[in-house]
Amino acid sequence: MPLFSRCYDALHRQRGLVLVVLLLVLAVCGWRLQRISIEDSIIALLPDGKTQVAADFELLQQAPFARKVVIHLQADTSRQAGELAAATETLRASLPEPLFRHAQSGVTMTDPQRVIGDLLQALPLLLDAADLQTIAEGLTPEAVSGLLRQHLAALQQPQGMLVKELIRRDPFDLHRLALAKLRALNPLPQMRLEGQKFVSTDGLSRLILADTDIAITDAEGSRRLLAVFADLTRQLPEGIRAELISGHAYTLANTDRIMADMHKVLLLSAAGLMLLFVVMIRRLRALPVFVLPFFSMLIALVVTSLWFDQVSGITIGFGAVLLGITIDFGLHVYLALQQSQQRQGELLQLVARPVLFGGLTTLAAFLVLLASDLPGQRQIGLFAGSGIVAALLLALLVLPHCIGRAAGDKNYATAVRETMSLYQRFPRARQTVLLLWLGIVGASLLLLPQLTLSGELRKLGYLPAELLAAEQRLSHVWGEVRGKALIFVAADDEQTALQRNEQLWALLTDRDLEGDAVSLAPLLLSQAKQQQRLADWRAFWAEHRESAEHLLIRQGAEYGFSAQAFTPFFAGLDARPQPVDAAVLARWGLTGVVEMLKPPRPGSYQLMTLVPDRPEVVDELTVATLPEGVTLVSQSRFGQRLGAAIAADFYRFLTLAAVVVVGFLGVLFRRVQDVLLALLPATTGLVVMLGGMVVLGLELNLFNVVASLLVMGLGVDYGIFMVCHGQGREDLASRRAVLISGVSTLIGFGALALASHPALFSIGVTLLLGISAAMPTALLVVPAWQQGRS
Amino acid sequence: MKNTPFVIVLLALVFVLGTGLEPSVATEPVRTLPEVLSALQQQAARTRSLQGRFVQEKILAMFDQTLRSEGALYYQAPDRLRWELLQPVASGFVVEGDRGVRWNSVSGEKEAFSTPDDPVMSEVAGQLLAWTRMDMDWLEQRYRLELVKSSPVTLYLYPRDTAEADFLAGIKVVFAPQLDYVAEVVMEEQQGDRTRLQFVEIIRNQPLVDGTFRPPVF
Repeated sequence: MPLFSRCYDALHRQRGLVLVVLLLVLAVCGWRLQRISIEDSIIALLPDGKTQVAADFELLQQAPFARKVVIHLQADTSRQAGELAAATETLRASLPEPLFRHAQSGVTMTDPQRVIGDLLQALPLLLDAADLQTIAEGLTPEAVSGLLRQHLAALQQPQGMLVKELIRRDPFDLHRLALAKLRALNPLPQMRLEGQKFVSTDGLSRLILADTDIAITDAEGSRRLLAVFADLTRQLPEGIRAELISGHAYTLANTDRIMADMHKVLLLSAAGLMLLFVVMIRRLRALPVFVLPFFSMLIALVVTSLWFDQVSGITIGFGAVLLGITIDFGLHVYLALQQSQQRQGELLQLVARPVLFGGLTTLAAFLVLLASDLPGQRQIGLFAGSGIVAALLLALLVLPHCIGRAAGDKNYATAVRETMSLYQRFPRARQTVLLLWLGIVGASLLLLPQLTLSGELRKLGYLPAELLAAEQRLSHVWGEVRGKALIFVAADDEQTALQRNEQLWALLTDRDLEGDAVSLAPLLLSQAKQQQRLADWRAFWAEHRESAEHLLIRQGAEYGFSAQAFTPFFAGLDARPQPVDAAVLARWGLTGVVEMLKPPRPGSYQLMTLVPDRPEVVDELTVATLPEGVTLVSQSRFGQRLGAAIAADFYRFLTLAAVVVVGFLGVLFRRVQDVLLALLPATTGLVVMLGGMVVLGLELNLFNVVASLLVMGLGVDYGIFMVCHGQGREDLASRRAVLISGVSTLIGFGALALASHPALFSIGVTLLLGISAAMPTALLVVPAWQQGRS
Repeated sequence: MKNTPFVIVLLALVFVLGTGLEPSVATEPVRTLPEVLSALQQQAARTRSLQGRFVQEKILAMFDQTLRSEGALYYQAPDRLRWELLQPVASGFVVEGDRGVRWNSVSGEKEAFSTPDDPVMSEVAGQLLAWTRMDMDWLEQRYRLELVKSSPVTLYLYPRDTAEADFLAGIKVVFAPQLDYVAEVVMEEQQGDRTRLQFVEIIRNQPLVDGTFRPPVF
């Protein structure tokens, strides 16, 4: 005796026990539900694992300001510069710890005289061949005379007393060549220092940079941080405003949006399903059909929470889709069992075949997501997979005992027969349907080449207009603060890393890219480079010392300088140079810059260089041209790589799912024609979905990949039922079941399409497109082909 | 090294004491340091603007000869100052609040600066205001003041900061017999270099020409 008939009979005798077990399972799930931690950020959308995309993403997290809170203060033109400065300092001082740490509105550089003194001591090591060439070109009577006249003028000024020693030690102003190296340490391209404070070139903007203990993905922490900041900004004088730019603002905006969407989507889909029940079923005994999917969602949620520490809000939002899918199983069982009062076990056995295979194909389509590099996709895969398994078990084992015995609902059979005979009664309708189908599929196929891929994670997150505007204002005033490409140099030891960093800098210089680059390379030198520079320096002065001395004495005499005036300079040429190292930079007050450009890396040594994230720069610095141990990551290239990964995933998942689905169909139907027919709704759904995305201007992203699998799984379900229906000796009300389940799925997806979060919206609208094509194909096109065959 | 534009300090002193003393104020001879400082403070309170010329002599080891130069100086309360050399090289600066411009006719350069970024100019503004307002707390904090002579009144300022004292031995300020202007300032460095300034033709509280605090065009 077949399995499901036997189960039905066995469980029918133990209906009370079945209900008790179900209630127990639900009680355990309810208890567990209290302990589920919901991840309401977009972290689940971010790649992990050991892929290139994941590695790039990890490196991008080290971008300057990526983990900083940036506060941008702007003043109206009517405000005095002093008012903005005072407001900035007041705000900085009032930022409370630990929400804000190390708030700084400028640098705390040491006495500039000391910096110059240190640079003079390091001159032989800092100056490169081009600098020595510049010095050589300046060793002319005219140039030296001009310099000495300037020194004379400076010495007669009040500050002359203070620059006197510098002039004696550096009559050729060589320290200016060394000072130019410090420009490579400025990550804010349009910033100037005023009173050691960050000031924009127009003087109307200032910056505060701060660390925070609040993780960027911590929504509640972000809420506290932003609330405190909002309170503080209310105390700013009129005409001065402050904006906080950090990942926290995005996290909070996304969280609020996801949570609001989650509630809206679940409410709407539940209401839609109830409406469907009232309109299309109208039998109280069918209520379990609509209740059991909620149980399967609950079980899926608990299973997911056992595997993942936190369940993403997006996954929960996907629960609406799961409801739409899992209700199908119950509907098919319910409608089939309504056909006869006497042969419930037999009918269950008959309907179990398409239900089981339909469920398994959908399950297989989702299980391929477990191979994804994105935790979000893996989570949805597990959530949907466990939900489908739970729903299948509930539909086939529990539901038949909850819906009571029908009194042979002849209305259904009649309706089915009427629909079946549609094409017999109206042969033109069949041709019209087929032509329409061919037209839509053909048009969609023509549109497919225009479909674009998007790997930009930002597009999947909710980006409030005001936050985008604040970022644009920040970039406009200060230059590309956050949009830099990062070049990492890594090595097992410090000297190798420094040498590679020097090679990289030389490469940037060769390609005229060093002007916009930020790097420690001009200042932090390997020992090999130091030795080479020192040898060059000594060789240079061995050649030019005499003429330089002669020039200073002869030209200096014209302005009254004594012959010994510049003795300290020549004494310095023979002195042992003191290299600039991290300790010296720290002494200058540049610890923050050093930490930024020398990010820690366990077990090895790492240096970072920043270059503009412009396509021409990133393309120029292709991997092939970079020295060994050097890695370039940029937001733009990351987007491209992620896009490529999405495309690869899309094809991989689709291929895998297709293989599994075709395998199932082969086992089920054992006829190529039936297999192809069963695949028709799925392929039509996919093609129209992708074509419709082109029409609507949507791009293929991480979530459309999920959507495509869902369209495939559900489409194949419909195909299986309709092909089984066409073959069936028994009327299982499959057409009606497909119609109701299709509508129920559309309700779930329609609710998602009303979500305002881009990720949920993306899933919803693309599924809506796919299912809108798959369902009519199953109901109208599959019978039309079957009609043709018969 | 501490950056202290002593010349400006002294110029401020000159302006404060320079020309506008009412005859009645100076009728009684001043004998003690507090009395001198009190008189200076009273004059400072009445000063709205000052203008005058100076002659500077620098005796520096770097030069075989004494460097001589002439210049002019203007001040307007509360925070505007113009200091410029006119001979032999035109150079100088103007400052207003915490912003200013310096120039040098030799290099043809004009450079804007802000006093918070420029320790030298920061000291200029700070010292100027301190002397103009006769901020005794500030001065006592920076220098030890000594009344060297009562006639003519002569003050000697010793830097308290050790870094400053490393290169600056002290500053001598000599006032005119009627205490109506500073006659001479001498800055003495530890290594023997000296700068001597003599102030003449000081006018107080007369309107200044428009554009006085703008840099020259060249």
